[in-house]
Amino acid sequence: MQTFIQLGATALQIGAVYILFSLGLTLIFGVMRIVNFVHGHIFAVAALIVAYILPPLAAGGLSAPVAYVLASIAGIAVALGLGALLYFFGFRYFQRDLVGSFILSIGFVLLLDGVLLHLFGGAVRGVPEIFPGRVSIAGAQITVQRLFLCAVALVMAGVLYWALGHTRLGKALRAVSYDHEAAMMVGVPYARIAFLGFMIASLLAAIAGVLLAPVTIVSPVIGTDYLIKGFIAVIIGGLGSVPGAILGSLFVASIETFGSYYLDSSYATLAIFGMVIVVLLFWPKGVLGRG
Amino acid sequence: MDKRTDTYLMVLIAAGALLLSLFLQDAYLRSVLNVMAISALLATSLRFVMLMGELNFALAAFTGIGAYCAGYLNTALDVPFGIGVLLAGLVAALASAAFGAITLRAKGPYFLLIGFAFTEAVRVAYSKFGALGGTSGMVGIFPARALDDWMPFIVMCVVVVLLVAFYIAEHSDFGRILFAIRENEDVARSVGINTYLCKVIAISGACFAAGVAGGLHAFVNNVISPGDFSYLLAAFALAYVKVGGEGYFLGPIVGAVLLVALSSYALGLGGDEHFLYGGAIIIAVLLMPKGVLGAAGYLRSRGTSAKRRVDANAH
Repeated sequence: MQTFIQLGATALQIGAVYILFSLGLTLIFGVMRIVNFVHGHIFAVAALIVAYILPPLAAGGLSAPVAYVLASIAGIAVALGLGALLYFFGFRYFQRDLVGSFILSIGFVLLLDGVLLHLFGGAVRGVPEIFPGRVSIAGAQITVQRLFLCAVALVMAGVLYWALGHTRLGKALRAVSYDHEAAMMVGVPYARIAFLGFMIASLLAAIAGVLLAPVTIVSPVIGTDYLIKGFIAVIIGGLGSVPGAILGSLFVASIETFGSYYLDSSYATLAIFGMVIVVLLFWPKGVLGRG
Repeated sequence: MDKRTDTYLMVLIAAGALLLSLFLQDAYLRSVLNVMAISALLATSLRFVMLMGELNFALAAFTGIGAYCAGYLNTALDVPFGIGVLLAGLVAALASAAFGAITLRAKGPYFLLIGFAFTEAVRVAYSKFGALGGTSGMVGIFPARALDDWMPFIVMCVVVVLLVAFYIAEHSDFGRILFAIRENEDVARSVGINTYLCKVIAISGACFAAGVAGGLHAFVNNVISPGDFSYLLAAFALAYVKVGGEGYFLGPIVGAVLLVALSSYALGLGGDEHFLYGGAIIIAVLLMPKGVLGAAGYLRSRGTSAKRRVDANAH
């Protein structure tokens, strides 16, 4: 039983990151109808900036949480700047062009791979512990850092879910994703909404990056792995669906955690892929998707 | 460019490539030529599926399946080169038919993303089989000694034959069905075409070529490992198609020759492959949406119209 709770807690932690990731992917797809492969690099840039400037800040005499907050703000700012650049010099011209935007995003992925390796080097780096200590919940041991990660991710998901239903911007985003022409006809400024949707998604990825930096080892290629899992979560849940992205993320995270514990991590990866095939057989547009 | 000069041009290019592969002596240039031929075949295979409006990112997985199939048959069962490569293509075609039958029920983004996930899953699977060499891959895949000197010519022959097959398929009735599916699948279905079956046939044909390309890659390189067949392989093939020009049959071939030559040159200078390919895709997509061939055609048509204007002024 205790193993089960421990594994469940781990699944929730991994799932929290996948949720932030897949919410961004599903939001961008919903609003702009593009498949954004550079999403992983926005995440990686935020994590890399934190890993790069946190040790000097901490060595400069700041206490760990203050240094972390400063590094996070810098990381998120740079990641958002990158997102805006990608939007204005690329994706703006390829909205609702699935193949074109995908090809462009693959180009950005390759280019940023080269740039990040050049700037940060291939070496992995660790970030010192920010919030030391661990707590015990129903017999399961969880470090405070991971609990913090989980809490922020779930709060972000909750805020996004609430905002999509209750704010003007959220309603505009939903209207655009249902039918962008009808939305424009009733006065929704499509171009601005698309940009805001892209930036909100980038913000989610950047937050995931700064949250994950202290609990994992950071390298320039860190984004790809999360990107694949995020996309699988979105496929299972249905592209464009927010509850689908959340459920899909938790599902993928559970298979990954329990599969790795009872079998082997590579079999868990294969099992996740098997699940995708099964889901597609019965729900070709994902469980909660409307395509 | 009218159709007849088009055909003459292609025959000329094919003959030139075959002669080059026969008479090239320098070992390094021969290996570059092999890479160009195999890349051109992969890019053409990717473009063939793009004719029906789908992006086949599982291309890398099926190339890998072909390569591993040829490698295993050759090293473990002593199957000779020709049969090994042919079987590699057939196995890849069968696997892709099963893959396509399941995934082609989903469209556009789902098909593309599943292909991506499938590539990564297959890559994990290779490393789990001890018989396939695990994560370090397979070594010692050699063609018969007598064929060694002729390898570039043999590779080029196989590639040319398959490219001709792609050309014929694209200009046949079947090719027109693929265009119809891309433009509007429901209309194609309404006139009684079984579009689902056609899509599965198209993808297994394209993946037959990918499997053969994988088999050739295994015999030319003598060594294969799971890392060779990541999604980057499909991304590079996409770069060839986009840079050369998606709308032209020669597009992926021109793109492959250009980019492979450029990257061999850049690697010699210590450059980074990712940087080059990424930059090439972005420039092609943003500035030359019809690729190098499209840009060349545009310049030529402007040139001839300018000349005509001059002629008209003279009279």
